[in-house]
Amino acid sequence: MAAPAEQLKQAMPYTTRYPELGTGPLDVRPLIDPELFELERERIFKQAWLYVARAEELAEPGDYKLRRLDVANTSVIIVRDRNGEVHAFHNICTHRGNKLIPEQEAQSLGHTATHTLTCRFHAWTFNTDGTLRGVARQESFAGLDKSCLGLNRIHCAEWEGFIFINLAEQPRQSLVEYLDGVADHYAGYPYNEATLRFRYSTVLNCNWKVSLYAFSEGYHVPTIHQGTFPSLATLEHTEFRCFGPHSTSGLYVPPVPGLEPTPVTANLGGRLRASNRHRPHLELLPENINPDNRQDFQFEFSVFFPNSVIHLCAGNGYPGMAIFHHQFWPIAVDKTLWEGTNYFRPPETVSERIAIAHTNALHRNAWLEDTSTMEQTYQALSSGVLDEMVLMDEELMIRNTHKHWHDYMGI
Amino acid sequence: MALLPEQFSQLESLAETWALPTELQRSERRWAAGPDDYRRFYEAMLPALDQVLDYLDRYEPGNIPEPALPLYRLALAFAEAAPHNELYDCSNTVPNSFDARRFVAAHGEITDR
Ligand code: FES
Ligand SMILES: [Fe+2]
Repeated sequence: MAAPAEQLKQAMPYTTRYPELGTGPLDVRPLIDPELFELERERIFKQAWLYVARAEELAEPGDYKLRRLDVANTSVIIVRDRNGEVHAFHNICTHRGNKLIPEQEAQSLGHTATHTLTCRFHAWTFNTDGTLRGVARQESFAGLDKSCLGLNRIHCAEWEGFIFINLAEQPRQSLVEYLDGVADHYAGYPYNEATLRFRYSTVLNCNWKVSLYAFSEGYHVPTIHQGTFPSLATLEHTEFRCFGPHSTSGLYVPPVPGLEPTPVTANLGGRLRASNRHRPHLELLPENINPDNRQDFQFEFSVFFPNSVIHLCAGNGYPGMAIFHHQFWPIAVDKTLWEGTNYFRPPETVSERIAIAHTNALHRNAWLEDTSTMEQTYQALSSGVLDEMVLMDEELMIRNTHKHWHDYMGI
Repeated sequence: MALLPEQFSQLESLAETWALPTELQRSERRWAAGPDDYRRFYEAMLPALDQVLDYLDRYEPGNIPEPALPLYRLALAFAEAAPHNELYDCSNTVPNSFDARRFVAAHGEITDR
């Protein structure tokens, strides 16, 4: 009979590589406790670097993005100034605190041709580098020092065109230090070429980690996605690596025996696979992704702590899709804004555009399958019946996130 | 006046209800469609798909002239609806799924007609 340690190694070859993660069950309380949620605001979301924009969303000087951050009770302006530099500011006018840019949606894009932002309340005007430019009837303020009344700055840094912010007064690490090994692991892919974006969002009545964890494993794929992707039934989820709080893995899908693609998918997907622009570009993958150059590579699948999951497909899995990602924005202990975005290279022909719509629709439908479990899971967990949840080997990225969640929280 | 070029006259009645300009409108059309709607759409479109796409490829994405827009929108609607035929047994929902009406296409309208 094999010794327990060997049995463990055999059942959990990846998990046992990271002894600090353990192999036991995880505590459920972090997913349901309102007091812990209040602490998460300070200890996680005001400490960690948060991905908030792609550089292409702010392609030109004067472009800006407004991003609501309910978890920090603020909204953020990310703006490219006239010299091309990107800044982030709290969206609050330094006169009497009106929102500088009125906010309608969780995120939106805008442009200022004059490279200034003017408050609607009393017309204070700020430059896109944050300095206060003009004050109406300035002579009626006693000794106003405009140089002290610039916009409230937020730390902001860019990596591979992914723009991150950090709400800490003084971040503990630079962005690249924070990203640890995942920064190199993902470096070098032409992310900037995939400029056609389809973003879906919904507010889920569940904790943000219920949704994050559901999107952090491939174990659910043969069951949850048998409707939309019977072709994924054979998936292999492998090549797990942890880089500090972040983790990554490779997903491969050998052909399902006897399963032919359906006619419309064969036609439209085939067009993308045949196009030089949208075809699988395995050769563009960073060196350590798909290291054996497998043709059945589906995507690299990574959790960027705390609240982003990024997939690099390079056109190889879903026809034409370059990357896609999920973000989980906490609103309350039981409320989460989920956003899923698919990225494609822009089409050169109308038929490519239509084929992209097909890939995108299938993937959106798969997300409808994913999100179907989350509110049910949360409701059931919040009953308090389960104290713990048990994980299999390929649920390792959840285990890694959960461990680092505890470290950040100091509990 | 006909919506589609003459060689696609067999698709004209489909264009009247499926050739909608926005993703949300096309989604609403799918949610309202019954199994027979899906069957009629699929049976008429599949054999014509290559010709429709060839026809549209005389234009550039983002620059499709007004008279060709209904055909373009019909093709988009078909690309989005076909999974209901090919995977969901002509049901107007994805089986065992989240309520699609709560899913917002937050990219808004992509102006690439
Ligand atoms: S609050 Fe903005 S100008 Fe007064
Ligand atoms: Fe999934």
